[in-house]
Amino acid sequence: MIKVENLHKKFGKNEVLSGIHTTIQKGEVVAIVGPSGSGKSTLLRCMNQLEHVSSGTIWVNDKKLTDSSTNIMQLRQSIGMVFQHFHLFPHKTVLENLIYAPMKVKGLKRQIAEKKAKELLEQVGLSIKANEYPKRLSGGQKQRVAIARALAMEPEYMLFDEPTSALDPEMVNEVLDVMKDLGNSGMTMVIVTHEMAFAREAADRILFLDGGKLVEESEPSAFFNNPQTDRAKAFLNKVL
Amino acid sequence: MNLDFGQFVPNIPYILQGILVTLKFVSVSAIVGFALGTILALFKIGRVKVLSWLADAYTSVFRGTPLILQLLLFYHATPQLTGYDISAFEAGVLSFGLNSAAYISEIIRAGIRAVDTGQNEAAAALGIPYRPMMKDIILPQAMKNILPALMNEFITLTKESAIVSVIGVFDIMRRSQIVAAEKFKYFEPLLIAGIIYYVLVMMLTLVGKLVERRMSRSD
Repeated sequence: MIKVENLHKKFGKNEVLSGIHTTIQKGEVVAIVGPSGSGKSTLLRCMNQLEHVSSGTIWVNDKKLTDSSTNIMQLRQSIGMVFQHFHLFPHKTVLENLIYAPMKVKGLKRQIAEKKAKELLEQVGLSIKANEYPKRLSGGQKQRVAIARALAMEPEYMLFDEPTSALDPEMVNEVLDVMKDLGNSGMTMVIVTHEMAFAREAADRILFLDGGKLVEESEPSAFFNNPQTDRAKAFLNKVL
Repeated sequence: MNLDFGQFVPNIPYILQGILVTLKFVSVSAIVGFALGTILALFKIGRVKVLSWLADAYTSVFRGTPLILQLLLFYHATPQLTGYDISAFEAGVLSFGLNSAAYISEIIRAGIRAVDTGQNEAAAALGIPYRPMMKDIILPQAMKNILPALMNEFITLTKESAIVSVIGVFDIMRRSQIVAAEKFKYFEPLLIAGIIYYVLVMMLTLVGKLVERRMSRSD
């Protein structure tokens, strides 16, 4: 469970998140949607402390993520993250990308890490690319490798920060399909996305952010068919 | 013109022996400079204010004063200040190593800065601690970008090493001067020294190209 309590985040004087409350349950797939600059990515990045919160509390399971005494590095091992621009390690092959953190951080033996990595590459349909360097992959392939790299740490949670926004349109689905499978397998996922059809189909719950506030929080069918607030209505009118 | 290389043929082996001295001197200085330069670069980009201030001050002093002055200070002032009878070779390695560390630290700092911050974030999100992140993720990428600048620095080091001849290290330069003084003829031995330095630098350039090619496997 990830629990966010009264989260505030300021960049200088600019408050990008003001008073967010929400709880992500185990096994849930939550999509965060909203206009650009609404604070979606910042909220997501607070959930593994890539952004430090200005005030408020975030719990991951029974640990206070926002406490300075918490070992964030250790907690991050249980929270995988996928970025808009992939951020694969360009000087390492696909396989090396996958086994580096499990070996270095978890101390797995190379043999075991490689076995797991190959299973994951199989899962994302990229076994044949194991020994390629990232530069040789398409955007969609890079993102699938990035998902596999995060999964190699066997996280409890997966955070996705606009995972398809940097992709050519014809590559979006191959990534979304991998994510759908992952959600169906019971992974707890938080996804910042502009793919409304995907959010509607794959998410259990939608968080709608606007101006740094959590404006609506409901099931996809309720949110898309019957939005409660004017701001959500205006947003949906623009994107659907 | 009365050029006569023939009379210098017996002296050529003596000058050539200087290559070993120069190479030993340059490689030790380069290792000192590179190791210290890396540490200084990490201080400069680090969050500890005192360390980054120290590293900046260090660079400022070593870049801001003549190398030959630093060399003479290390050589002559060390015995005066500490009583330790420093050898010419030690003084040379110390001043060249410390001096090039100042330049190399700037090169490496720029190289680290040029690595996409996303790489730091990806490493952090995987729970990779600072040390392995720097060693295995950031620095290898930085090194690839700065290799040409680094080779420049090593080439400069090789050529400028001729300055150690002033404190009596028997390198290529000093040996050619000794030969010149013996025969009262300067052009030929200096030309021989020049050719040797040029060939050394060419070989270094070649090594640089090979390393560069090897490092761009991932392209």
